[in-house]
Amino acid sequence: MKISKDTLKNISLLSKLEIEKSMKEKITKELESILLMVDQMNEVDTDHVKPMSHPLSKAQNLRKDLVSEDIERDEYIKNAPQSDDGYYLSPKVIDQK
Amino acid sequence: MNDIISLNLEDQIGLLETKKISSYELTTLYLENIKENKDLNCFISVNEDALEQAKVIDNLKDRQSPVQGIPIAHKDIFCVKGHRTTCGSKMLENFISPYSSTVFEKLENSKTIMLGKTNMDEFAMGSSNETSFFGKVKNPINPLKSPGGSSGGSAAAVKANLCAFATGTDTGGSIRQPASFCGITGIKPTYGRVSRWGMIAFASSLDQAGIFARSALDSAIALEIISGFDEKDSTSINSKVPNLKEETTSEMEHSIGVPMQIIEKIEDVNVKNNFLESIKILEKNGFKTKQIELPFLEYSLPSYYVIAPAECSANLSRYDGIKFGYRCDNPKDLEDLYVRTRSEGFGEEVKKRILIGTYCLSAGYFDAYYIKAQKIRAMITESFKNAFKDVSVIAMPTCSNGAFELGSIQDPVKMYEQDIYTIPANLAGLPAISIPSGNTEEMPLGLQFIGNHLEEGKILNISHQFQKLTDYHV
Repeated sequence: MKISKDTLKNISLLSKLEIEKSMKEKITKELESILLMVDQMNEVDTDHVKPMSHPLSKAQNLRKDLVSEDIERDEYIKNAPQSDDGYYLSPKVIDQK
Repeated sequence: MNDIISLNLEDQIGLLETKKISSYELTTLYLENIKENKDLNCFISVNEDALEQAKVIDNLKDRQSPVQGIPIAHKDIFCVKGHRTTCGSKMLENFISPYSSTVFEKLENSKTIMLGKTNMDEFAMGSSNETSFFGKVKNPINPLKSPGGSSGGSAAAVKANLCAFATGTDTGGSIRQPASFCGITGIKPTYGRVSRWGMIAFASSLDQAGIFARSALDSAIALEIISGFDEKDSTSINSKVPNLKEETTSEMEHSIGVPMQIIEKIEDVNVKNNFLESIKILEKNGFKTKQIELPFLEYSLPSYYVIAPAECSANLSRYDGIKFGYRCDNPKDLEDLYVRTRSEGFGEEVKKRILIGTYCLSAGYFDAYYIKAQKIRAMITESFKNAFKDVSVIAMPTCSNGAFELGSIQDPVKMYEQDIYTIPANLAGLPAISIPSGNTEEMPLGLQFIGNHLEEGKILNISHQFQKLTDYHV
């Protein structure tokens, strides 16, 4: 599987990752070699197989929707890189006209 | 006195019970040894309150749990309230957990002492411990060699007597491969046996917590404590946890399945001979073995390297530089903040896996990669199901080689191949254990037993019986 420049650009855009110019060739080669290994899957006929997403094929448990503990807002917000008065701060997203 | 830190868990428990040693003294000995072995780089952080906690526990009137007062280490993937939890990443370098993982809480409620948090590959992605932001861990047997990964810090800490036992996680072999490289016992239980609550996610349908210890019996004691249903984890299994110590030591008959087609393909002659020698030891001592077939097992690696990166790319989207974790300097707008935060905060291996996962999940490729991989996962699980109709456990090597030199594997696919024998159990959600089985070029090799769902007792039992017959683990 070849990874074109456009494909690399597209997946890094979707991943919100920037790949340094000097790394592009190396990353492309490595991704191609991983996909080449992955492509071995095509040797297997899987036409009538149901895909499996959970190792024990069980429905997921749901707990009762009850308050189990109090969440300390200040404790959580302490980890924010930037906050103000209990609010998370981010760069401005709405333009002022 | 220093011999005490290398004693097995049962003997240490005996000394604490008879008050021949206090938890304070035991904790002091381990902390001193951690300091002396700083060069191994096993710990990302050491718990400054450990001695205080030991004092409190020594003052308790009676013993409330078998492991009361035992000093242990946690992989730095488990959240511990009020403590730093980095997951081996720059992204979480300064993250202080606002809540605790269930694994930590269960061990804390059992009155163990947390000595510190162990080093690991970044976000548990790696098989050598070289992807950690905090530097690589060295193998205590030979510091030029890798301790394995991703839970290499925990494995090396147990081997170097820096703790009595340690927690770890295993998504594709991250407990068993380092256990094999460091010559100790490591068990990954059935998927869902141990709660994933508060355990930083890599690939949610594969991640499972487990234990590193000096023997199968020690592992059984520790595993029983962390096991059990947890309503906070929607994939937790609501099934009674058996008395694992009793199951480990009971009289149990086994029929051991040996997938000869896989064994015959092992390239490293030492690894192959070591495995066959282990089987001979078991046969000589009256254990029945049976050749089995495990079709499609060779497609585990390709299937895993679609599923794990796909789940990783979704799980790691939470690192956006807003609510917690690293944030880049002076972002010019929101998009710039996201992109630079993630590009600067994640290491190369993590980025690679996010890119692969994103590719496999992107429009036009989803069916060819993700659905195809999940179908193969179903076929592999079916192979195991059929095999377990005839046998009680399955034996395989843990890894296709002994510990390699740090820095010697640069090709990503070569590194991924480290996990060819461990990944199948993750895909099928089966319990599996690695125990020491001898050496190659003076580095340990591991023997792996895989069990049927919820049958941790059987793989612990056969491992214990093997350890009674051999002394590779001491």
